[in-house]
Amino acid sequence: MATPAARLRASASLSRATLDLSLARVLGRDYRLGYLFVLPMAILVLALVAYPFGYAIYLSMTRKYVGVAPVWVGLDNYVRLTGDGFFRRAVANSFVFTFGSVAVKLVLGIAMALVLSARIRGRSFWTGVLLIPWVAPTVVSALNFLWIYDYSLGVLNYLLVRVLRLLPQGVGWLSEPGTAMASVIAVNIWRGFPFFGISFLAGMKAIPAELYEAAAVDGAGAFQRFFSVTLPGLRNILIIVTLLSTIWTFNDFQIVYILTKGGPGGATQVLPVFTYEIAFGAQRLGEAIAVALYMLPALAAVIIVLARYMRRGQRT
Amino acid sequence: MDRRLRDLADQLDAGLIARREFLRRAVVLTGGTAAGLAVLRRRASAQPKTKLRVWLFKSFVTAGNDVVARQIEAWAKERNVEVETDWATFGDREQKFVAAIEAGNPPDMAEMNLYGPMRYKAALRDATKIATDVASAKGGLLPFAERAMKLDGKFLAVARYSMTTVFFIRKDIMEAKGLKPPKVYDPDVVEFARKTQDPSKDLWGFGQTLNRSDDGDGFMSNILWDYGGGVWDKDGKPALGTTFLKQNAAALQFAVDTIQKHKIQPPGVMGWTDPSNNEAYMAGKLVTTNNGASLYYAMVSKKHELAANTLLVLTPGGPAGSFVGSSCYNWAIFQKTKHAELCEDLIRWVEDEKRFTEYLQVSVGQAGPVYKARVDNPYWKSDPNYDAIIQNILRCVNIGYPGPMTPAAAEVQGQKVLTDMAGRVVVGGLSAEAALKEAHARVEEIYKMRRT
Repeated sequence: MATPAARLRASASLSRATLDLSLARVLGRDYRLGYLFVLPMAILVLALVAYPFGYAIYLSMTRKYVGVAPVWVGLDNYVRLTGDGFFRRAVANSFVFTFGSVAVKLVLGIAMALVLSARIRGRSFWTGVLLIPWVAPTVVSALNFLWIYDYSLGVLNYLLVRVLRLLPQGVGWLSEPGTAMASVIAVNIWRGFPFFGISFLAGMKAIPAELYEAAAVDGAGAFQRFFSVTLPGLRNILIIVTLLSTIWTFNDFQIVYILTKGGPGGATQVLPVFTYEIAFGAQRLGEAIAVALYMLPALAAVIIVLARYMRRGQRT
Repeated sequence: MDRRLRDLADQLDAGLIARREFLRRAVVLTGGTAAGLAVLRRRASAQPKTKLRVWLFKSFVTAGNDVVARQIEAWAKERNVEVETDWATFGDREQKFVAAIEAGNPPDMAEMNLYGPMRYKAALRDATKIATDVASAKGGLLPFAERAMKLDGKFLAVARYSMTTVFFIRKDIMEAKGLKPPKVYDPDVVEFARKTQDPSKDLWGFGQTLNRSDDGDGFMSNILWDYGGGVWDKDGKPALGTTFLKQNAAALQFAVDTIQKHKIQPPGVMGWTDPSNNEAYMAGKLVTTNNGASLYYAMVSKKHELAANTLLVLTPGGPAGSFVGSSCYNWAIFQKTKHAELCEDLIRWVEDEKRFTEYLQVSVGQAGPVYKARVDNPYWKSDPNYDAIIQNILRCVNIGYPGPMTPAAAEVQGQKVLTDMAGRVVVGGLSAEAALKEAHARVEEIYKMRRT
């Protein structure tokens, strides 16, 4: 007669075998090989994404100065940031900068796609010209705009005051809070709208011509065709492009840093520049990471929505 | 032929050994020698040249950069050392240092600014021996430089030169108006600027940004001291919105008034970054501005028409005196280096007076003295404009003044608290007192953080 221990061992091996059988039934007979194939990618993801991300979360809960070991402070950095007026202003500015930019880029992008999809002469040439802002390095564009916006030496005031005589005197584009934010948003729009335009153009080419013909036969005008055929046809691509641009714009550092460094008086301070200032100006690395991670939930929500739409696109 | 082979041949000739024995010994001898030579050659190639990584500061004075690079190259050749030099600019040096230190891969030594030794203290090697050796050979350090390089009783870097700011004046315009250089900001600079500017021609009397920048922050520090205030008290405790509230409020109000009330600054000045006043001055849009000697270098080296029409004078002051923040570029050696002696040797080499003078000659006033003996270098008499540079250096004070230079003081500078404060008044509409109190809260926070 078997001892209780032997009975236990037998029962355990029986349940293992049953589990194996069920897994084989669900995942296929060679499911073990599948794990082997997935393993390198899993290791890569863990090493290149999960570990640095986990380490960043850990560091955000420490007081970490350059060259000195981190000291655990729990949620102290997050609590202090919540009460910091400069941080709160950076959050508000980030939203103004992001949504102000994305909204205009969306409208301009659709306009660009509509114009380029029409039968115009030199369409390829104009497509190329409109893509220049997108392909030019951001640093170069931002430095050019720094000169364009300059009060005394910039071409914008020169045109408005001397050539077109629209203004009696120049405007300090980067020195007033209102114009400074509008100016950095304008550069972001200039740089980003071709991406919208070219993506929408590709999307519009995928809309069957029969739909437009049918709408025309039914007596639909240009506006009706746009709202009833073009926009619904672009729906998925519109959402994906908007969400992608929201993430990129929210994380845009170069334009604001080069043009204003967050000034004047913090009027254009956005989170990426604030993070940079805390990391390299103050050299408080833990707090800088906390700033960067603070907006993670909001961005994660955008990413989840984006991923869902992208997967839906794959299924269809 | 090898001596031993010749001996063998002699023995064979003399019939002392058989031919077979001669061949056997000759094979052993030549084989052994060949094997030995191969091993020696392999060992020799397995010992590569010592490699030294040196990070240098890429200043706007490009001729100076070339000189120091050449001097290091000559040293490397002389000492048979391989030197890998890398350059860091005003804009990227802190990022490079932070990244390298955190990655555990800093260079062997680096040229740093005033704040470097304090910021990277944990990663730097004690340089007391070489710093005192170099200093004593040059008559000792000027007091501000000694205080900046010596932390907790030990030197963390070897001082090199001071890059001070001075007051730039368009001499031609000043003389045409029959004016004299201003001594204080209020009322001298204001009146000077009003009399010389012509806004209809986009010519402005004074150009000094209060925007987030090193220039703006330096001016704000100076003006607070000029009015008897400052960020810190003599014990190094925050005083911005408490002990010195009255003096600081007067200073801040004056700074803001130059833009809003006196209207002696270009309308776009709050959007300026560090190079903006240089560009505006060289474009003939400013009558006066504060800047380092690099602006003078740019004009002289490019044979700019304004070089001859520019007068450099002492930075104007205020009711409590005339103050200028210090600068002290230096050489620091990292703890991780395995070649500390070579680093020290290289520092001695470039700080040798003959070589430093070569660097000084091309610096057009940027490489100001940090050692007492260098104050008397005849170079400083070669241009009347250099006198203002020397005098400003001799009276400069370190951040933290009237208290000690502390990490908290360096962080207040790094976070641009003072220019943010000015910006809150100019563009945010706050009163000077409200902006001071807001900024004081930030200073208190930094002070608390840096103490724990």
